[in-house]
Amino acid sequence: MNRISRHPMRRILAAGIVLVLLVGLFVARLIDIQVVRASALNEQAEEVRSTAPITVFGARGDIVDRNGTVLADSVMRYDVALSPKNAQKSKIMREEPDPADPSKTKQVEVPLEQTAAELGAIVGLTGDQVLGIIASELADDPDSDFAYVAKLVDVDTYEKLSALDIPWVVSYPHPSRRYPNGAVAGNLLGFVGTDGDALAGLELGQDACLAGEDGEVTFIPSLQDWVEIPGTEVVHKEAKNGGTLQLTIDSDLQWEVQRIAEAQRLAVGAQWATVTVMEAKTGKLLAVADVPTVDPNNPSGTDDADRGSRTFTAPFEPGSTFKAITAASLEDVGIANPLSQVVAPYSYDAPNGANFRDSFYHDDTPYTLTGALIDSSNTATAKFGEQMSDQARFEYMQKFGFGRVSEVGFPGEESGDLHGGPEEWDNQTKYTTMFGQGLTTTAVQIASAYQAIANDGVRMPVQLVEGCTDAAGETTSPEVKGTRVISEQASRETSEMLENVYTQGWLADQWNIPGYRVAAKTGTAQVADGNGGYLTGYLVSVSGYAPADDPEFVVSVSIMDPVKMNSSAASAPVFQQVMSQVLKKYRTIPSGAPAPDLPATW
Amino acid sequence: MSALPAQSAPSPIRRRAWIPEILRPAPDRAARPKPRLAYAIIAVGGVLAIALAQLMLSIAVTQGAYEIDGYELSQAKLSRQQQTLAEDLDRVQSPQYLAQNAEALGMVPNTNPVFLRLSDGAVLGQPAAASGGAGASGALVPNVLISGVPLVTEQQAGETAPVGGQGAGLGDPVADPPVAPAPPAAGDSLPTPTTH
Repeated sequence: MNRISRHPMRRILAAGIVLVLLVGLFVARLIDIQVVRASALNEQAEEVRSTAPITVFGARGDIVDRNGTVLADSVMRYDVALSPKNAQKSKIMREEPDPADPSKTKQVEVPLEQTAAELGAIVGLTGDQVLGIIASELADDPDSDFAYVAKLVDVDTYEKLSALDIPWVVSYPHPSRRYPNGAVAGNLLGFVGTDGDALAGLELGQDACLAGEDGEVTFIPSLQDWVEIPGTEVVHKEAKNGGTLQLTIDSDLQWEVQRIAEAQRLAVGAQWATVTVMEAKTGKLLAVADVPTVDPNNPSGTDDADRGSRTFTAPFEPGSTFKAITAASLEDVGIANPLSQVVAPYSYDAPNGANFRDSFYHDDTPYTLTGALIDSSNTATAKFGEQMSDQARFEYMQKFGFGRVSEVGFPGEESGDLHGGPEEWDNQTKYTTMFGQGLTTTAVQIASAYQAIANDGVRMPVQLVEGCTDAAGETTSPEVKGTRVISEQASRETSEMLENVYTQGWLADQWNIPGYRVAAKTGTAQVADGNGGYLTGYLVSVSGYAPADDPEFVVSVSIMDPVKMNSSAASAPVFQQVMSQVLKKYRTIPSGAPAPDLPATW
Repeated sequence: MSALPAQSAPSPIRRRAWIPEILRPAPDRAARPKPRLAYAIIAVGGVLAIALAQLMLSIAVTQGAYEIDGYELSQAKLSRQQQTLAEDLDRVQSPQYLAQNAEALGMVPNTNPVFLRLSDGAVLGQPAAASGGAGASGALVPNVLISGVPLVTEQQAGETAPVGGQGAGLGDPVADPPVAPAPPAAGDSLPTPTTH
């Protein structure tokens, strides 16, 4: 006592040091726990107290048509699984009326066979099949605790299963995709896989717009009844809903066009057919039919090759419909007008050594440019076309949108092939490109080129998507800006010539739409076999627009190898029916004055 | 006077002696105890009140949690119901289903566009009778969702659907009781007689 009091300073110092050390220790420990190991400890604590991460589904966005009709939406489906181990072991007791005393109930044990039969009846299996699943799983692994009974069952089935309340059966939510209108626009929509990945079509091409993002939450539940303790929910990741994709397609028209196309495809025994309907003034696609068409609800029901949209992905040699492009180019540079004259032979030996014929025999004929189109004469078109340089013609093709993918950017879309360019064209190709052979185009490119002719020479970007509205309500639309391809006068003159093709051509009776002025051109093209030769079948087509005096709608029909009717007579009725339907549906006022009459010969 | 001895022997009595005379004890020292008791009561009472309020709040919040849980359950159930109904509705309003029903009732499509201009009663276009048309369009544009959904003609037991299809029933009037056709509603653009 004395000693200490004799050295008070030391005692204070010692106490001070101990105090500082102690506090330091605590501070260090505090920092260690609160800062250094904070996240690890938090995690540990969460693991013990809170639920396993719960997925909050972010819905994939809808695809709607121009009127808002839903073409694709997200629905909840359920995967049903059972525990084979527990199915074997556990007993299910059920309250049933006591036969001895109807006013009371008694506990009755339900045999496994009965439970299995009840379960099977709901998911569409027999009781034996359910028992088979259990038995085979247990044979593989006696401790097996998990086996799927059914996948992607609908809400009704789920509700019935829940009502059955079998303790060893569990259902997991599984977001899925549904296409209420079936095959209507199935070629465009594409489909998604069972795991929700976009596999084809717009589902794939516009995935950035449509895809939602699943979130994740945990909460601390009450011990007994699994009720969330208020304020304990932790959002680990916010769920995000996908955007709504609006198309320029009109689903009613799309259905009708698909119906007409498929009926004709079956009637003429064709491999496939495409029909494109486009607004002449905006370049918006109203209907794009590709038959056969996939039903996206059941993609595997359709042949693999038929699941896409050939309108965008299958380039072909267009044939005579391309003559309108050559004629329009000639008009625009001022080399020819509808009444320009040539004398066309049946078989033409060109100055550069190329040789080709017309599809029908004729003596040397004094054709006007109009007549060359009406009779679809290759030689006459060539005698006009050779007056223009190859380079200039090639540039017009490019301006019309050929040789590159359209603005739609459909998944797997092909650009077509202009056979390289003028410097790569051989002597024969220099001529055949005038009448649509030796180069390939897609159906949508042909429709777009006719749109340019119909729209006073201004080509509008091809539009399939009206816009994407994200979850916050903001809409993004593709930029629309037209480019002038040919002058107004050239477009008007070409239009008048095509009207005469419609009124004077050999199909005039078959594609007549009373009351309307129509401009159209047929094509019967040889189909390349991929090895430098041609197949025996033809690709027959019609492209045109109406009303010709104030064009509103472009319709382009292509039918591949109609074995029962191997000429453009197979495509003309489709053109006539589709165009009639379009004009009727959009209440287009019939034309007043008749079409001008231009001479085919001189 | 050095500070060292003073520290070594801290005696309160001795310390007091160093306080200069001018410093006096605060005069109201004796008055303090009473307010202090009141403060203590207020403080303790406040703490108790807060604790009690906290407790009540907590009970209320917990009670709310069960309510929320109940609502969430019924919401989930209702949204499932909503989905089922929406799916049913989508099925029956799909174009395939409508077309099949129309065909089952004996209707045929007429694509020929003809218009009646209301302002002067002029007929635009050239009318033509519907020529047959598609008998069974169901298979042309498939939709697996409507397989198994009964057509309108199948739902009405007892009533016979017009047989023949393909416009066979067009010529013969259906055996309906003769009802006077309701006069068409007058629109703005209908021709109206000029009266004075």
